This record gives sequence, C-alpha cells and structure tokens, in this order.
Amino acid sequence: MRAYSLRSRLMWVFGILLCVFLGLTGVVLDRAFRSSVEAGAAEQLQVQIYLLLSAVDERDGEFYFLETLQEPRFNQLDSGLYGYISSASTGELWRSDSARAFDPPEPGFLRERIGVGQSRFQVMPGEAAVYFRLSYGILWEDGISEFNFTVLENADPYYSEIRNFRRDLWSWLGGVAVLLLMIQTFLLRWGLAPLSRMALDLRAIELGEKDKLEAEYPKELRGVAANLNQLIESERKQQSRYRTTLGDLAHSLKTPLAVMSGIIPWLKSAEAKNSSEFLSQLRAADEQIERMNQIVTYQLQRAVQADNSLSIARRVNVAETTDQVIEALQKVYADKQMFVHREIDKHAQFIGDKRDLMELLGNVLDNAYKYGRSELIVRIKREATLTDGVVIQVEDDGQGIPNEQVVYVLQRGARADTLMQGQGIGLAVVADIVDSYGGDVSVTTSVLGGASVMLTLPATASQ
Amino acid sequence: MRLLVVEDESLLRQQLEQGLSNQGFVVDVAEDGKAGLYFSTEYAYDAAIIDLGLPEIDGISLIEQIRGADKQFPILILTARGDWQDKVAGLDAGADDYVVKPFRLEEIVARLNALLRRAAGFAKPRVNFGPLTLDLTAKRLSVSGEDIDLTAYEYKLLEYLMMHPGQVISKTELTEHLYAQDYDRDSNVLEVFVRRLRLKLDPQQTLKPIETVRGQGYRFCLAESG
Repeated sequence: MRAYSLRSRLMWVFGILLCVFLGLTGVVLDRAFRSSVEAGAAEQLQVQIYLLLSAVDERDGEFYFLETLQEPRFNQLDSGLYGYISSASTGELWRSDSARAFDPPEPGFLRERIGVGQSRFQVMPGEAAVYFRLSYGILWEDGISEFNFTVLENADPYYSEIRNFRRDLWSWLGGVAVLLLMIQTFLLRWGLAPLSRMALDLRAIELGEKDKLEAEYPKELRGVAANLNQLIESERKQQSRYRTTLGDLAHSLKTPLAVMSGIIPWLKSAEAKNSSEFLSQLRAADEQIERMNQIVTYQLQRAVQADNSLSIARRVNVAETTDQVIEALQKVYADKQMFVHREIDKHAQFIGDKRDLMELLGNVLDNAYKYGRSELIVRIKREATLTDGVVIQVEDDGQGIPNEQVVYVLQRGARADTLMQGQGIGLAVVADIVDSYGGDVSVTTSVLGGASVMLTLPATASQ
Repeated sequence: MRLLVVEDESLLRQQLEQGLSNQGFVVDVAEDGKAGLYFSTEYAYDAAIIDLGLPEIDGISLIEQIRGADKQFPILILTARGDWQDKVAGLDAGADDYVVKPFRLEEIVARLNALLRRAAGFAKPRVNFGPLTLDLTAKRLSVSGEDIDLTAYEYKLLEYLMMHPGQVISKTELTEHLYAQDYDRDSNVLEVFVRRLRLKLDPQQTLKPIETVRGQGYRFCLAESG
C-alpha cells in the first residue's frame, strides 16, 4: 500500500485545480479574442460592401462601376480580397478583377437566399487558406430585383494574429502556473509544519529524550496533543502499577510459601505419619494453598485495571450490563429461585472499561445471590449531582456482613495480604476498582435484613 | 452418567478423568475444541466440562457450536482467569455454571450433580417417589425410611432410570451411560442388576417400580411425589 501523504494529497488537489482553472481561463480568453477578431473582420467586410454598393450601377443586366473601385485590392489579381455580385436565381453576375483567376471554396454562396438588408458572415476553410465571407442582400432601384453582394477575404493575416495572441497567452499562463505551484509548495510546507513538529516530538518521547508533548501547537492540534499526553501518562502509570503489583505479589506469596516449605518436609518425615498433628498440618498446608490462590486472584485483578483518569474511556450502558450479569447468575443459582426487584434507569452510563463494570456488578451481585435467601433489590440510578455519574445499589435478604469485616475490607492497604472469608475477597476487588475510578463504596444493612452495598461512580475521576 | 471433559492441559485432564471416574461417572476426554465438538455430536452425554481457554476452537465458540447442534446437556465451564466478563460470556453462550481454577474436585462433583439433577427436573437433591427416596447428593436410597444397601452399579442404574422417569431407556443407552468403554458388554448383566434391584426395592411386589418394555428397554414408572 502506498504511503498516504497529506502533503502530496493537497499538492495534487491544488495542482489539478490550478491547471483546470488556468486552462479554462486560457480557453475562454482565446475564444473571446478569436470572436473579437472575426467580428472586426466582419465589420471591415461590411464597409467594403458599402463601398461596392456606392460605386456600382447596372445597365441591361450588366453591372459596371462608375469609377475605379477605391479599394485597390479589388483590382489586383489574387490580392486576397474578392468581390462578387450574384442573385439567388441566376448565380454569379459580376466578380472583381482580383477574382478573375480565383476559385472560391463552396461557391454555393452565390445562390444563397439572403433577406434584403440582411448580412451573412461565414468562415470558409479552403484548400490553401481560410476565407472570411460576408454576403449582403439588397433590393435594386427597380424595386423588384434582389441581389447578393459578397466580399471574400483571405483570413491568413487574421489567423496569424490569433496565433500570436495564443502563444503569448499560454506562455504567460504557464509562467503564472509555475509561480503559483511554487508558492503553493512553500505554503503547504509552512502550513503542515506543526504536524512535522509533532512527529518529531513524539519521536523524541519514544527515544526517552522528552516526557510529553510540550510545544505550542495550533488550536486544531491542541486537543490531539492533550489526549496524546494523557495516553502517555496513563501508559506510564499502568507500567508502574504492573511493577508495583508484581512486587506486592512476590512479597505476599513469600509468607504462605514459607509456611508450606516448613510443613511439607515435616509431612514427608517418618514421625509425621503416626503423629496426631498430621491431619491438622495437612489442613494448614491446604489453607496456605487457598491463601496463595486468593492473593494471585486479587493481585491479578489489580494489575490489569485500566487507569481511569483517561477521559477517552468508553461509555457503557449500565442497564444492559446489569441484565447480562443477572441472567448469568440466575442460571448459576437456578436452585435458589431468587426474586430480583429491579429499579434500573435505562439511560445510566458508566464512563470506563466494560470489563471493570462487569467485575463490579459480578462481584456484588454474586455475593448477594450466594448469601441471600430468596430476594434481591437492584437499583441503578443516575447520580443527580454528578453529570454522567451512576449509583449502583444491591440489597439482599441474607445475614449481612459483620461490621468488622466491612471496615477491614474497605480500609485501604489492608486488603493485600490476608485470607479473606466469605464476601471479603469480592468486596476487596470491588473497593479497589471503585477507588481507581475515584468513586465510593458503602456497606450498610438492608431493609430486607441482609447487606446493602452501594457503589457511587462519578463520570470523571478525581485528579 | 456419561461426561465429556474438554481440557487442553494434560495433567489436569488426567486428574479430572481419574477423579470423576472414581466418583462413578463414565468419562470421555478431549484435548481441544475440535475433538470436543466431534465427541459431543457423535455420542450422547449427560453433561460436559469445558475449559474456556482452549487452543484452536476456543471454549466459548465450542459451547455455541454445541448448543447450535441442539445438544442440550448441561455444561460446566472451567476458567483460569475468573473475570466476570468471561464467566458471563460463557454462560450467555450456553453454559450452565462455572468453576474457577484452581478448583477442588468436590466442588466440580457437587456442581455437576446439581446440574444433572436440575436437568432431570428435580428441584431438590432428595427426591421422593412414593415410599422410595433417592438422595442424589449422598447417593443413597431408602424405602419407607429404611436405607437400602446397593452396590455401585445398582445405584447407578437406578439413578439413571429415576433421572429419566417415564422414559423407556434401551439396554444400549444404559450400557453407554453407565459403563466405561472397555467394559465387557453383556446385556445379561443388566438383567441381573434389574432383577436384584426389584428384589431390594419391592420385595412384596406391590410397587413394581421398574417396568420391562419388551424389545425396547426399561422404564421407571413411579411418579414423583411430595
């Protein structure tokens, strides 16, 4: 695929437009000039015809001239100017001396019917040259006879003039075109310079020479530059988050691994098999495995969360996602036949990653289904004070969550290392995700008797 | 009950095969989506366990294709990542329940039994047919409150018939669903089991719980009660 260039696109478009415009201009001027030349020639010929008219007389069907024709070219043989008198019925009646050896192209004009006082102008291409012809119809003194007076002129001199004009016109237009193209090239380069600058800046960022796009960009690029900077920043944060999480993960796993590496060798030893401690040590080893599993799950969730200060995150319809999750859970907990009261605002939107929303809804609803007895309330509302914010509330009729556990789980920093029971780990993940969106989690007692979990998610994360 | 296990990790696959066979299931294994699809359309299964992270045809497409082929047996999905997005997608595609790795075998067995019971139309794990009570979780039968001692195969046979109440089950179907491939298929064995069951369940010959439909198979003809 050929490289797609903004500059070459613009150059081509302007170039073509320029050529078309100048071309059209040239053609129009050329045509106008030629018309003007022909009109001029026609006027000249008309004058010649009047001259003929004033000098002519007729006797017995023969035309003769009272005086020598003023225009010398009528008397010179093959002068290029030829006069004819003819009638539509009888054809040629007189021709000038100059026309004696002349063979006019398309002699049909001699018998042409022309109205009295009417002129007919024609360009006649002949074998050797092009001729202009003007024919004029007159009514003779006798009031009956109609005659055509025609003057033919060799158009070569005129055409030579036209050719000269044409040559000059096109050379000038060509010169102007070249000049304009040069100016256009320069303007494009200058106009697109900010884009080149941005490309250079990005390259510098790639090479680590710069942190972000700092230069002043024109209004149109400012939005792009700001978004790019946010993207770069969020990538950086994500990377450091990965590093921290891996560090935390390694650290957290050390303890259960250490415990296991104490238990297992003992279990293999000879004294172990008969010891009363055997089973409890096995149970302890099991517990450590469970703990490691929880740690891995939890840290994995933290690591892949998107950094949500990015304003170009997507909008997710909360109602649809909630329905999907409820449908899935109805299947899983089909034995329970849970009744779900829904108060869901169909227009509530979550600004962020759909995956995160699913984790939130999945964990909260799963807890409600697991610990609830027969009914749930699910409320999704648009938050009145925050634009595009959303409040998700889930209540169940189970036994509720003991307060100490709630406080413990929602306390920052407490979640990473410990073995969590029951609703603990789900809530911990939810709290983490809600934190990263700058939102809030609150757990209280529901009117149904169980837990009421409320998540408040603003549209724009806290700075 | 006959199960299909589709799992690409060989160790895990073996563990599942071994563990589930020990629990009395007949287990077929497939190591990728293509084989899984083939098996599921070629043979009749009572349930399947499918790993979501399969090579080639991935778990979710496999489930969609199985449901597309109009196979309605319950499906339990295994997922390593445990994202709600994956779980919901799997359930939406046609699965009935999920288990997150690493898992305990007991959890798989418990969920499988629940799915099988639900598929047979029983809402609770203990089902009553007149004086007979079958405890599907404990795998125990009692008649008028008294526990009856059944061998493993007797129980399996009775459970299968009871999970398809009113339906005529051919001897071939019984053999396929109750006995692993290399078992010596002698239909007389089935007749012996049925005879023994009748003696244990209905010594007075008043209930007649199992009916022989000549030329076709057997039918459990008691209705669910209570």
